[in-house]
Amino acid sequence: MSRLDRWFEGMTRQSARRVSRRHWLSRFGGVLLGGVALPLLPVARAADKHTVGEDGVKGAAGDPTRCEYWRHCAIDGFLCSCCGGSHTACPPGTEMSPVTWIGTCRNPADGKDYIISYNDCCGKTFCGRCICNRNEGERPLYHWYRSNDINWCGGAKAQTYSCSTALVVKVAKEAQPEK
Amino acid sequence: MKLLFVTLGFLLVGQSVRAESYEEHDYILNCSGCHRMDGSGSRAVPSLHAMRDLVGKPGAREYWVRVPGPAQAPLSDARLAALMNWLVARFTGQRPEPAYTPEDVKQLRSKPLRDPIRKRNEIRGTPPSNTGTP
Repeated sequence: MSRLDRWFEGMTRQSARRVSRRHWLSRFGGVLLGGVALPLLPVARAADKHTVGEDGVKGAAGDPTRCEYWRHCAIDGFLCSCCGGSHTACPPGTEMSPVTWIGTCRNPADGKDYIISYNDCCGKTFCGRCICNRNEGERPLYHWYRSNDINWCGGAKAQTYSCSTALVVKVAKEAQPEK
Repeated sequence: MKLLFVTLGFLLVGQSVRAESYEEHDYILNCSGCHRMDGSGSRAVPSLHAMRDLVGKPGAREYWVRVPGPAQAPLSDARLAALMNWLVARFTGQRPEPAYTPEDVKQLRSKPLRDPIRKRNEIRGTPPSNTGTP
């Protein structure tokens, strides 16, 4: 223990003799500012495309706050992840509707199709943020079993639509027939 | 080594059997959105557990395919027949007798019901009511 103490004491005294306090502060400030400026460089922004996001998917398809998120392939509405909730949870004060639109989306990370359940969150006025309208594999109202224009809040206590989630139910045996 | 081959053989057979069955997949994709994963339904959608009330009654087997859900499902006759055999067994506790064939299903879904609730009450033998849920 005393050896560690002595070593530390030596280091501290040495740096106090050699480095002025102001010099250290200016260097440290430079590092802080430089660190903040780094993401503004085009290099850092280009690297975003390759960062691995949700579900092991790279880029926008791995970001639950974007329409391009892979689970949002048939979304029509506001993303709960922009409205105080997440892609799997409702914002406070809303209730998840038990009845839901169900379809399949392909996960680009493993190339498999997954059954996705777009449970709506209901009970507060519409969120208004991150509106997405991809509708892949969706059908008009006369094919009611594959239409997302129905108000799926019909099964909840309050029928006001607020926003939509995108839950993975399980791996699909095949893509839905409309794809 | 022999044991390994036997095990591999079993695994292969198991895999191919599983690959053939689409019933659960078809249920989740085509029924569970409204009837829910556990079949309990909601205020507007009938519970599949109420199918028990009709077990053994004349006309029930035909009625179950002519209601709006199966009659309009975007499934082939063969897949729908397999799904209905699975679904009836799951929610009533007994397999339909006789089991649905693709030909049965084809013929039954060509005559969808105009008023499923009245038909259900007829089969159950209760006076008609206006409620959507049984």
